[in-house]
This record gives sequence, C-alpha cells and structure tokens, in this order.
Amino acid sequence: MRIKDPQHLSKVQKECRAALGKFPKKVIVCCGTGCLANGAAKIVTAFEDVLSKRKVKGFSIEAVTKTGCHGFCEQGPLVVIEPQGTFYTRVKPKDVEAIVEKSLAHDEILEPLLYSDPSNGHKIERYNDLPFFSMQRRIALRHLGKIAAHSIDEYIADGGYQALAKVLTSMTPDEVIAEIMASGLRGRGGGGFPAGRKWRTCRDVVSDVHYVICNGDEGDPGAFMDRSIMEGDPHGVLEGMMIAAYAVDARQGFIYVREEYPLAVTHLKKAIDDCEEVGLLGDNILGSDFSFSIRISRGAGAFVCGESSALMRSVAGEVGEPRAKYIRSVVKGLYDKPTVLNNVETYVNVPLIIDKGAEWYTSIGTPSNTGTKVFSLVGKVRNTGLIEVAMGATMREIIFGIGGGIIDNRPFKAVQTGGPSGGCLPESMLDLPVDFDTLTEAGSMMGSGGMIVMDDRTCMVDLAKYFLSFLVSESCGKCVPCREGLYQLHAMTVKVSEGRATEADLEKMEKLSEMIILGSLCGLGKSGPNPLLSTIRYFRDEYLVHIREKRCPAGVCRELITYEINDKCTGCMACISACAVNAITGEKKQVHVLDQEKCTKCGACYAVCKFDAIEIH
Amino acid sequence: MVRLTINGKLVQAAEGEMLLSVIRREKIDIPALCHHEAVEPYGACRLCMVEITRPEWDGWANFVTSCLYPVEENLIVSTHSPKVIELRKTIVDLFLACHPNTPEIIQLAADYGVTHTSYEEVPEPDDCILCGLCTRICETMGFKAISAVGRGHGKEIAPPLGEAPPDCVGCLACAQNCPTHFIKFSDRNGVRRIWEKDFELMACSRCGRKTITREFAESLSAGRDIPMEYFEICDDCHRMETSRTMGRIANWSREVQP
Amino acid sequence: MTYRFTVNPDVCIGCRTCELACAFAHAVAGKPGVSRIYPLDGGFKELWVPVVCLQCEEAACVKSCLVDALKRNPETGAIELNQEKCVRCMACIAACPFGCSLLDRQHNQVVKCDLCGGDPVCAHFCPTKALQYKPIEAGKVKVSA
Repeated sequence: MRIKDPQHLSKVQKECRAALGKFPKKVIVCCGTGCLANGAAKIVTAFEDVLSKRKVKGFSIEAVTKTGCHGFCEQGPLVVIEPQGTFYTRVKPKDVEAIVEKSLAHDEILEPLLYSDPSNGHKIERYNDLPFFSMQRRIALRHLGKIAAHSIDEYIADGGYQALAKVLTSMTPDEVIAEIMASGLRGRGGGGFPAGRKWRTCRDVVSDVHYVICNGDEGDPGAFMDRSIMEGDPHGVLEGMMIAAYAVDARQGFIYVREEYPLAVTHLKKAIDDCEEVGLLGDNILGSDFSFSIRISRGAGAFVCGESSALMRSVAGEVGEPRAKYIRSVVKGLYDKPTVLNNVETYVNVPLIIDKGAEWYTSIGTPSNTGTKVFSLVGKVRNTGLIEVAMGATMREIIFGIGGGIIDNRPFKAVQTGGPSGGCLPESMLDLPVDFDTLTEAGSMMGSGGMIVMDDRTCMVDLAKYFLSFLVSESCGKCVPCREGLYQLHAMTVKVSEGRATEADLEKMEKLSEMIILGSLCGLGKSGPNPLLSTIRYFRDEYLVHIREKRCPAGVCRELITYEINDKCTGCMACISACAVNAITGEKKQVHVLDQEKCTKCGACYAVCKFDAIEIH
Repeated sequence: MVRLTINGKLVQAAEGEMLLSVIRREKIDIPALCHHEAVEPYGACRLCMVEITRPEWDGWANFVTSCLYPVEENLIVSTHSPKVIELRKTIVDLFLACHPNTPEIIQLAADYGVTHTSYEEVPEPDDCILCGLCTRICETMGFKAISAVGRGHGKEIAPPLGEAPPDCVGCLACAQNCPTHFIKFSDRNGVRRIWEKDFELMACSRCGRKTITREFAESLSAGRDIPMEYFEICDDCHRMETSRTMGRIANWSREVQP
Repeated sequence: MTYRFTVNPDVCIGCRTCELACAFAHAVAGKPGVSRIYPLDGGFKELWVPVVCLQCEEAACVKSCLVDALKRNPETGAIELNQEKCVRCMACIAACPFGCSLLDRQHNQVVKCDLCGGDPVCAHFCPTKALQYKPIEAGKVKVSA
C-alpha cells in the first residue's frame, strides 16, 4: 500500500494508533545490543512460551514490544509494563511467568525486580521516578525504549513522517535551512559545526547532483550512542535525512554504518524497505516533486573511515584515506559533488525541530549550544549506560547525579571525554558545563559523547598509552606525522609506564605532540596527542612519579608493580585456581606464597580474593 | 589575477593555482617528496608545508601543504619560518627513524641538519617511503595495477592479493618515479620482470633491439588508436626508415625537376 | 600568423651543423645534450635527409602519452614535452613512426624537438637553408591542438 499524500498519511496514522490501542497493557522488552547480549532474546521467547499456555484477558504476544536501548544498560535486561511505567530490572527468563501472572493478568508489582536506590535501599516502581531517567531530557532518544524498533507502523503512530509532510507541503528548501539554522543545531558527531550553515553552503553550490550522507561509523571506543539510535529509531534517522535531502536538492543518500554494527544494518535496512514499500522513499514522495532514495554502505573495520573525506572515499569503493580539506567536502565531496555529511544524532533531531519549531529547540540547552546531547556513560560509574541531557549540564550532575557516583564509593579521579581525540578532566573541572566550547578550552573536547569515568585505580599514563596504541593501529598511514609520530609517541609512553623514561623524554613527548598536531593531514593525527597532553597537563605529577620513582601510584603499570599476599590470607586456594601461570602455591588454610618470577601481573588473583589478602605494591 | 605575498615579496598568481606552483616559480626551494606534475597533489609527505596568515587574522597562523592549498588574495605565505623549519626537521627525523639506511632519506635529513634520528629506530624492511607516487601514476595512466594495502605502520604498496598484478603492462612508470628506487625490475633475454610478473619485450623487426613490452604496446594500440605496426620497429630504425623514405621522395623530385 | 618548420633534403649537404647546434642549444649542466635532429643517409648518391620531428598534426606521440605531457604550443606550433609531467614510460619513443622522440640515456629523460621555443637554432645555422622556419599565410594550413 502506497501512502499517496499527507492526508493519507494522517489517515494511516489514525489506523496505526487504533491498532496499537487495542491492548490496554503493553510489555516493553529492551532489545538494544547490550540487553540482547545479556539475554533479552530469551526473555522474549519466554513471553512467547508463557503466553501460548496461559491466556491473559486483554493481552497477547502482539503487545510484547521489542524496543531499542533504554540506556540503563547497567540494570539490564529491562522489562517495562505500560502504561503504568513499571520498571523491572535484571529480568531473567524464569521471572517471566511471574510477570505474566502478577503484573499482566493482575496489577501486582514484583518487588524483587524493581530498581533499588543505592543511597537508601528504597525500591522505585516507575520509569519516570528513577533518578536515572528523571534527570534526563530525551529528545534524540525519544523513541528508544518506547516503540518497536523495526515497525514503521509504530513510528507513524507516534507522529512519524509528519515533519516530512509539513516540509513537503508548506516549506521551501530555503525555509527548511533557515529553520535549522535558527535552531542552532550543531553537528553531534563531535565537530559541532552548525548544521544549517553546512546545508546552506551545500545548497549554494551549483551542481546537477547533491548528496546526503549519514555518518554511522562511530569509531570511538566505548561510544554507542549512534548504534543505539540506528538500532532503536531507524526511521528517525531516515526522516532526518529526507528533510536534509529536500533542503539541499539531493536525490540520493547513503548511510555509512561500521562493519561492527550488524543489528543497526538489519534495522535500517528493514526501515528503508518499509519506506520504499509505502512510497516514503523513491519517486514523488507523498505526492510531491521530491524523489529520494537511500542506500546503506558498510564499513570494513577502520576508525579512520569516520573522518568525512575518508568516509566518502570508502562509500565510493576506494581505500579509506582522508584528504586535505582545504576545499571542503560540502563543496566537493562524494564523487567530487557537493555533499552534506552529518552524524546519526544530528539527523534524528531534525524531524522534531521541524515539528516543534526552532524556538522550542533553542529553549533547551544554552544560547550557543542549543538542544541536548546523548552520552555513553561508562567506566567506574555506578549507572553505566546511555543518557541524554540538555547542553550545559555539568559533569558533576551527569556523573554523580544520573550516573550515581563511583562504584564502591572510591574517589573520583578523572573523566575522559571525546574518545581518542579528546582529553581527560580532573575533579577540579567537574563543575564545567558540558558543551562543544567549554571543554575544548579546558584541553579536552565533548566529541561524539563518550564519557569514561575513572577512579583512583586508573593510571593516567596507562590511559594515554591505551589511546595512543588505538590510534597507532587505526592510523591510515598516509602521512608521516601521524603514522610515525604517533608510533614514536606511543613507544615513549610505554617507556614511561615501564619506568625507563627520563624527564627529558617527557619534554620530547610534548614537543613531538606539538609537531604532530601541526603537521598531520587529518583530525585523527591532529587530535591524536590530546589524551596524552591532557593527562600530562592535569596529572603531570603522576608521570613524574613513574619517571623519577619508577612507581605507578594507581597500581596498574605492570613493570612497576608487584602483587603480594599478606597475612589476611585464609588459605582458601581461590587464587591458586585463578592463576594461569601457577605462580601461587600453598595448602588449604595455609597462607599462600606468590612466586614473583612467574607472576605476569594479570590481576586475576586480586579479582577473586574475597579477603583483601592480595596487595598491589 | 590573484596577488599574495611570499616571504615578504608580492607576487601574482592565476586563480585556482596551488601555492607550491607559485613558490616554485619564484625559485624558492622547498621539498615536496610526494609531488609529481603528472598526478593530483596528495599531501602525504607534509614536507611542502608552509605557514600562512592573513591581515585580518591578527597574527594567528595556519600550516598547510602548499601542494594542495589554492592561492588567495592577500594571503601571506612564509616558506621558511622557524615553525615550518622545525616541522620539516621533525618530519625528516621521523623518516630517518624508519628508514635509517635509505640513501635518499639520509640525504634529505642531512639537508635539514639531522644526521641521526632522535627517536627509536624502527627500520622498515624496504626502502618504500609510502609517498604513493607509483600508485597514483599507475592510476592516472589508467592501469591501476598496484595499490596501497593495509593501514598505518603495516601499510605497503602491493598488487592485488599479493599476486602478479593482472592489470600491469610493464610500462615501468612506477619504478622510474620511485624516489628511493625501491621498485625493482629486470630486463633479461627479452623478458621484463616487475611485481613478479613476466612480460615479453617487443623486439625491433629490423635490428632486434628491445623496446617496450608487448602488453603496453597492445594497450596503447587498442586504447589510443595507434597502429600496432608502429611498435614493431625501434626508434633508431624508424629514423633510418624515415631518411630512406624521404630520400626516395627527394631523389624522385630531383629526377622529375632537374 | 603561424610558422612552419620545413625540411628540404634536396639541398642538405650532410654537414651535421644542425646536429651540433641542437646539442649545444639543449645543453644540460653546461655539457652538450642530446640532439633532436640527425641528418641520415638518404639511400642515394649525395643525398642526406635531416630526420627531425615534424610536429605532426595528428601526432602518435601525443596519442601515446597517458599523462598528457605532450601538448602543442599554439604560438610556435611545436609539440612540447613537459619534463615535469613526463613519467618516463617511453611510450612516445616506441610510438613515433619517425623515431623523433628520443631517449637521453645519460639523464634518464625523454627529449624531442621543441623548435627551440620559436627560434630553431638548426635552421639558423643551416648553411644551405635546407632547414627553414618561416611564416605561412593564414588560412592555408590548419594546425591541430
């Protein structure tokens, strides 16, 4: 069935809503990649099994909805009962029978499955009452956890494609661009470039062909914002791209998805197929002159292909190497044609801005950083997961408010933002507002939204070493400052972590970093030294301790630490089983002995010991 | 006409011209290892970087590769500023770290006062400096037989799947333009061998001297509308044939017009 | 007004002054270079033919160059080889049916007659005017790019 025009769309919307309203209750099972890895698929199967045997009045398996990531990954697998909003955490397949019996057939709540507030042990029943959610402002993530990820019906029922209809019937391309410019929407991929200005420049280039590309490469380690959006709200991304295509006169769009996101590809492909079937993609969309189609282009496992010019080469089937962008890709991009490249999160904001207006969007966030930002909050924080807050929220609010503070109440040391291109910020910077501009002044950057929280057991030298090794393996190799410079920088950081460096080496690293930043061809190289420079800036003392005292205060750098067994040892032999190299010997109920020669400092014994008998020196 | 300043001197350039072309026209010598007029500029070696600023930038400067940066009105360019020199020194220093035994790199480093690398030596197994000239020339000529394979430190120039490249015609353009002569070939007994592929060298039908490969000749004949017969005679014999042919005509005209 | 380089073997005496002049006019680093013109035996008594590039209208060398290094200079009429663009594939040497694209082995470069940029020295020094570079009436001959 083809949706002929906007009136028909509204009719379809009514029909979809009616279909969804058939059941008074709805069960939402979070099927984002995190919960899937934790067994969410088995929970869905359990619902199918239970419901095939037990009939519940007014409910059926149709009302079990598989949605995208709720964001509260720490507490997954998640099951939510609507409309009450009852929020069940850490659900196992064996809990499903009770859920059906108690919460679906009747209106009872299963207390053991509720979230427990760590500060006072109180159970919280409803989704909206959890501080994790109540402190967020979910705009880009609006559909995640609410609608079925693969259903165009649910998307349309929730108002989907109304923004597209509005654009096609009542706005000229120039008006669309003006609206996006007025909203202040800045590129969410990390660059923070005003999206409206980008579209304006692209449209102004006289060309028979314009392209629109969505950057779904998301290469930063620890970042999964774009993955969740592509998996959980693929139509939101498509609609955003369609509106952009209309604005810049593009007839062909591409979504570049990294190789490692198969679920995103599946869901995007289904969304595209569904749109093509109803005529929302293809010729004369909704009866207008606008024709547009989208193809998915898959990456092949290269971080550097997240860089816009490398990405476009990759889409064109060439080796993903960046080029100097003195002539910007918005002027000469894919196949040398003017191309708009925006991030997943940027596009998913667009339909809502068109719907509710630019002024509404500017009422959120700060004047030069409007709207919200999605963050992946990971590391030593209690509530790891995906969150979205208005721009300008402070890091303290994010980490200690939504994030629930540091695990085991250990002291906060630093937070790394912006992935391999960003830097870390210490406790003294916790009250900085998070936005594109402020963090950059402090030596880091917001980047695409990765936030890695660290406690006192993280070594900053080790952190810099990790990011540099990542960049060394991901460098495309075209230019010497990045290919060889980052390699040498990494080698020197290894020297520091092994206690073989001198203070002159530290200066040399800083000098080389400056040259790498000046000389590199693309952003990967130019921002590569950032993690190193920011850790030296705020934790110089820690580097000096490694150099002068050959000691690692956080107890991480293997060459500088030893594991020792103290007299708290009860002789339980747990560590002996854990040790892969048989470095620990001992009898039951006897204090064990650790052979330093054999010890590889892997930390397995430390992890299993329940008596604090293993110490790191 | 675009007017800009290079090292304090006001110069003129054509619209769309790259800075490097203007710099060379002014006889200012800056290295540009990955540059070749036959192919598009690449910006890989970073040695041609210059410092640029504009009057309205209040002293803030940017560093760009002159091979790829188009001229701008009122641009102020510095080809040998202290920062640029420091940058070039660092780059040749890094080059020397991975190619301590390559003569051309040793010479380049010496030009910038670097005799030993100040970094850890990690010698590459061969002299390839990954300038990309070979692959870009091959692609421009239309063969695209070799490519850069791999990423980062493991990057190397190779034919597809490491086997004899099906598209190579043995023209030797890659080897001729390799700055470190890393690409090796041999011409022996009428056979040329390059990239582990063998080619038959055409032999002049008059004197037997070897010219270009048969594959190259056939490709040119088919693709560029040149009779295959032209390639069957070497240039020496072509000259001799020309003189004999012209001689016959001249002799005829002598006889006809006394 | 266009110019054309003409060769009249009838009056060539085989003195090879042209060859010498060309070599000196194309000196490399102060030493005589490779001559682009060679008076060769015409095959008859006292008949020599100076073999030199005749700047063909549809030149095989231009066709054979895959990097567009060979282009006609509209002012002089000569087909010029841009040394900076040349990749030394030797296609033009193999393609020219007159053998007028030459290999300078000493400097590993390809050379050809460029009419000395508009004032060919060979014509200048030829004692019998066998070689001439003279204007042709407009409209008489067309020269391709």
